[in-house]
Amino acid sequence: MADRTALSSALCYRDPKAALTFLAAGFGFELVMLIEDDQGNLAHSEMAFGDALIMIGNEWTDDHRSPAAIDGKNTQSVHIHIATDCDAHCERARAAGFEIIMEPETQFYGDRTYRCRDPEGHIWTVGQTVQAVSREEAAAVSGLKIEGWT
Amino acid sequence: MTSKVYVALRVRATPARAFAVFTAEIGDWWRPQGLFQTTPRAPGRLAFEPAGDGGRLIETLANGKVFEIGSVLAWEPPSRLVFSWRQAAFPPDLHTEVEVCFEAVGEETRVSVEHRGFERVPAENAARHGFPDQALLARLAEFWQAQIRAVGAKVLGG
Repeated sequence: MADRTALSSALCYRDPKAALTFLAAGFGFELVMLIEDDQGNLAHSEMAFGDALIMIGNEWTDDHRSPAAIDGKNTQSVHIHIATDCDAHCERARAAGFEIIMEPETQFYGDRTYRCRDPEGHIWTVGQTVQAVSREEAAAVSGLKIEGWT
Repeated sequence: MTSKVYVALRVRATPARAFAVFTAEIGDWWRPQGLFQTTPRAPGRLAFEPAGDGGRLIETLANGKVFEIGSVLAWEPPSRLVFSWRQAAFPPDLHTEVEVCFEAVGEETRVSVEHRGFERVPAENAARHGFPDQALLARLAEFWQAQIRAVGAKVLGG
């Protein structure tokens, strides 16, 4: 496929078709591909956001599970970086049934972020850069040794 | 039920313009692809003729012969178009169905294509190239993505 970014996340859901609906409603992701078999089961799907894609699938092997199947545990999470209005993004997600587990807050590194859990338990973080913070400032405030800060 | 392959992309045009380019200019933007060849001959030029209800999607080959890919099942500018789709290698009674929708999103149009029933191509049929359902449908999705991309380029004057 043309124009694909080098990294994409693939998420597992018990009900991937429901996920397509709530991810569109909550985050504004756009469905760009959906393949269903002759029983109406989802075989593959992709949603676009900006120049990135995520794949929404089912629990397609014994080693692929939705958090809903493993007591809510997450082993990876996807970060969404937006250009404008983190707070409005959060309200949209809340209205679409996402549980806000950390309300929007401006972090020492200059991003305003919030964290939410979707209806199947996947945890998402969302951030918007709201202040330019230098490496020295960030290191001084956090007490962390920071490398590779541009 | 039938299988379903759905793809969507935004193009920079109004739905009316996107619909017009998709239908009236299909001979210009269509991208033939060997995996989904409509006839065993070199690709010809596609056209909706006549344009509108009762029309057909035809392909005119270099030797002047006309192959009918399908017939128009719904012609609802600027939002929706449905036509049947068959390739020369299909069994005679097999028709699949393609639905194209044009939905305004801000100043752009989201063009979606849903192709239904392609898994009915029998396992031994040449049009399947030996592919199992999932691989076949994935390639079909990529085929239609390339077509919508070509519509998007055409809309921009490409």
